[in-house]
Amino acid sequence: MPLKRDDWMTCGSDAGQTKRLSRRDLLGGSGFHLASWTGLRSALADIAIAKNGAEPGHDILVSIFLRGGADGLNAVVPYFEDAYYRNRPNLSVPPPKAGGAHLLDLDGKFGFHPALAPLLPAFREGELAILHACGSQDGTRSHFEAMAAIERGLAYEGSGPTSGWIARHLASTQKESDSPLRAVAFGGTLPDSLRGARTAVALESLSDFRLDVPEEQQAHFHHVLGELYAGGKDEVLHAGGETLAVLDSLKKIDPKQYRPANGAKYPTSDLGQGLLQTSCLIRANLGLEVAALDRGGWDTHYAQGSTVGIFTLSLDDLAQSLAAFRQDMGQEMRRVTVVVMTEFGRRLAENAGLGTDHGRASFMMVLGGGAKGGHVYAKWPGLEPHQLDETGDLRVTTDYRDVLGEVLQSRMRNDHTPDVFVGYVPKPIGITTPLKA
Amino acid sequence: MSISRRDCLKLGALGGGAAMLGGCANLAGRIAQRPERLALPTAGAEENLRLVHRTTFGPRPGDVARAKALGKEGYVDSLLKAGEDEEPRLQFLLNRLDVFQMDAYETQELPENEVLRQLQAAALLRAVYGRHQLRERMVDFWTNHFNIYSRKGLSAFRKATDETKVVRQHALDTFPNLLKASAHSPAMLMFLDNQGNTSGHPNENYAREIMELHSLGVKGGYTQKDVQEVARCFTGWTIERRFLRHRWTFRFDPDLHDNGTKRVLGHTIPGGGGEKDADIVLQILSTHPSTAHFIASKLCAAFLGADGGKWTDQTAQTYLNTGGDIRAMLRPLLLSKDLIDSPPILKRPFDLIASSLRALDADTDGGKDVQNHLEKMGEPLYQWPMPDGYPTKTSAWTGSMLPRWNFAHQVASGAVGGTRYDSTSLKEPELIYETLLGSRPASSGSLLLDSVAREIKNHPEDSTSACFLCLASPEFQWR
Repeated sequence: MPLKRDDWMTCGSDAGQTKRLSRRDLLGGSGFHLASWTGLRSALADIAIAKNGAEPGHDILVSIFLRGGADGLNAVVPYFEDAYYRNRPNLSVPPPKAGGAHLLDLDGKFGFHPALAPLLPAFREGELAILHACGSQDGTRSHFEAMAAIERGLAYEGSGPTSGWIARHLASTQKESDSPLRAVAFGGTLPDSLRGARTAVALESLSDFRLDVPEEQQAHFHHVLGELYAGGKDEVLHAGGETLAVLDSLKKIDPKQYRPANGAKYPTSDLGQGLLQTSCLIRANLGLEVAALDRGGWDTHYAQGSTVGIFTLSLDDLAQSLAAFRQDMGQEMRRVTVVVMTEFGRRLAENAGLGTDHGRASFMMVLGGGAKGGHVYAKWPGLEPHQLDETGDLRVTTDYRDVLGEVLQSRMRNDHTPDVFVGYVPKPIGITTPLKA
Repeated sequence: MSISRRDCLKLGALGGGAAMLGGCANLAGRIAQRPERLALPTAGAEENLRLVHRTTFGPRPGDVARAKALGKEGYVDSLLKAGEDEEPRLQFLLNRLDVFQMDAYETQELPENEVLRQLQAAALLRAVYGRHQLRERMVDFWTNHFNIYSRKGLSAFRKATDETKVVRQHALDTFPNLLKASAHSPAMLMFLDNQGNTSGHPNENYAREIMELHSLGVKGGYTQKDVQEVARCFTGWTIERRFLRHRWTFRFDPDLHDNGTKRVLGHTIPGGGGEKDADIVLQILSTHPSTAHFIASKLCAAFLGADGGKWTDQTAQTYLNTGGDIRAMLRPLLLSKDLIDSPPILKRPFDLIASSLRALDADTDGGKDVQNHLEKMGEPLYQWPMPDGYPTKTSAWTGSMLPRWNFAHQVASGAVGGTRYDSTSLKEPELIYETLLGSRPASSGSLLLDSVAREIKNHPEDSTSACFLCLASPEFQWR
């Protein structure tokens, strides 16, 4: 069906907003949350004494969740598949070397959507590994079931505890003297991946994270709140105590004065600004181990577009943000691993609204000095009708837990990955170089 | 008590294999338990306080006494009746908001941010001033149940109509009427893309969410095939956009409809039904036992919190017996002893702000300044981007304590623009405590009361700090 004029206006208005909105743009919003897991400790007094300065001997993990179901088939395109072009007459991206906007070849079979161009150097220099046909075993095609499965580190939602995989990773590597800033996430609400942490703190921005009382009353109210929130017998008391500990930690830095290194320019989007603040925390050596960020806007049922449109703008933000972070970190990338995931991919066949409906497998990315990059890792299931699943979707041939599990084991020194993934033993793929013993 | 990782793993090993992490997580969970039952009813006043907390956006001075005077049934029935009369102050403030006086299409003359600002102001004003508080709570509930992200496309311009004609109009009506109104709402047709759902390659977005989130629930017994069939039934349900026609109302476009036979949840829908195909789907969904159960479970959780599960089956049965009558489902819940005895529910940011303003008996314009605080706490109205609405679980919100404290300080010191309260009557520590917390402390030796008394002793003429501590206290975060 041809789109009507109003529809295009609608699309245009959305497109304009992705640039304009600094917060919560499009479906899924972009959040950046701060959380800190106190794990199996009880005394808040312990927490207030942060261990600063020491390098942890493992990477800092940056976990980015693309909310809404990102279309892996149009991000990292299997352009050798005739079926791709047959099923997406309007949405497909032209093959490499075609006229106009076209794919950027990766390995003779897969190509980057042109909006991912800022990530090509990382791929070519071996710091960016791409995985394809990845996902969970959740077949509901529900955003909420599929997100819950992955954020809880499960095969599918309901098959294990409701705590998050990052929370369990932190619990299983807990030390007595850990910082209240082991894990951060920015935004108003906390993601499920951090659920199960007894307390967690969300922040909208580092520089706003201060008690908004007159300077001469800061110490007094900090103390009084500490009394009111002491003991930690319930979730609110814990959260209050944790918030005060984080306030103490952050006193030592001045985020407003922070400038990225190497001329890096972050997008003004929530993702870009979230990564900028992640970089600030990494450099401040406050004991950060995991940062969890979200990027929404991927639920492209309608007016998804091929090389212009909502999907392109989202990819552009993702690529620019990651490229800026890599440039900023420079040599520091040797101790940082970024993992990008989404809850599911999208149907091979486009729908009548120039969009795509919920599908199954999608792509993942691992970026960092420890990644064995420059390669698209895929047990490619194929796109012909007999190769797709019963709904017409790309089959999952790589369990997302194999990717996360390898990263945790090889770069985060977690020897308990079956605990993190509730009995599942991740099968290493070889996408990372293990840290030396 | 301090438990090391080794203890945890040891405990896990006892459980063995896959149960291990469950054991470990449960252990953590046990430590991070729900709060001790704060402010448990020890006297009649406490019971009435809880009743007011659960059925309103928090007590205004005098509300608890009024509930007591009416008696439980009298109070609950007055809430359920929810007439159309409104507080003159509220009416005056609402009349200044243009978006509610204009056709949806006309509101495009206003900047989008202004439309959104007015929508947000209206919601807060109604929660703070509204006379019929149970309806306001239900509006908040259904707004999230049928969540529409106002930043998607032109949704903001259509949301006012949705809020008035769908959510507010049917908040205490029957669920089938509400579901039907929502299915015809241009804001919903836009948000979940049904306006682009046409014969040939149907768009599954609305079909999935109406079953998963609006009616049956994800475990409600539908399949991917049902999603695709329901999508076919809804083809052609779109928004009027033809030249010189009434714009932005519901329209069925027969040219876009799939006229074939469909099979939905075991029912055959014969071909050629046109617009009626989706009417039949709405009928199937509205009368389905899974819908009764799903809606009942959400309502029970909203009013009884952690104890809601005990009431779900009974409430689902009421749904089926009464054709989804919302009042009939609510009445037993509101009169139940479990409403009084259940563990407290964490206030979401919107609850927190509305209850603060009500406790202070503050006057507010519901404008940008106070809305900014709501955004910092993580709940900017009409801006949850996913179709499931703002989270209800406690763990989603405990991360944002600092913005709660900062709001408490700003509002107590009169620094929130467009919002003021009269602090001259708040002089005595006990009175401040009772006014803001809704009751006297449950026991002597209240840490909060001691802190409040200390502030008043140090600043006898200034109750700002005392009010701040009350609103920022752990006690005030629950209801």
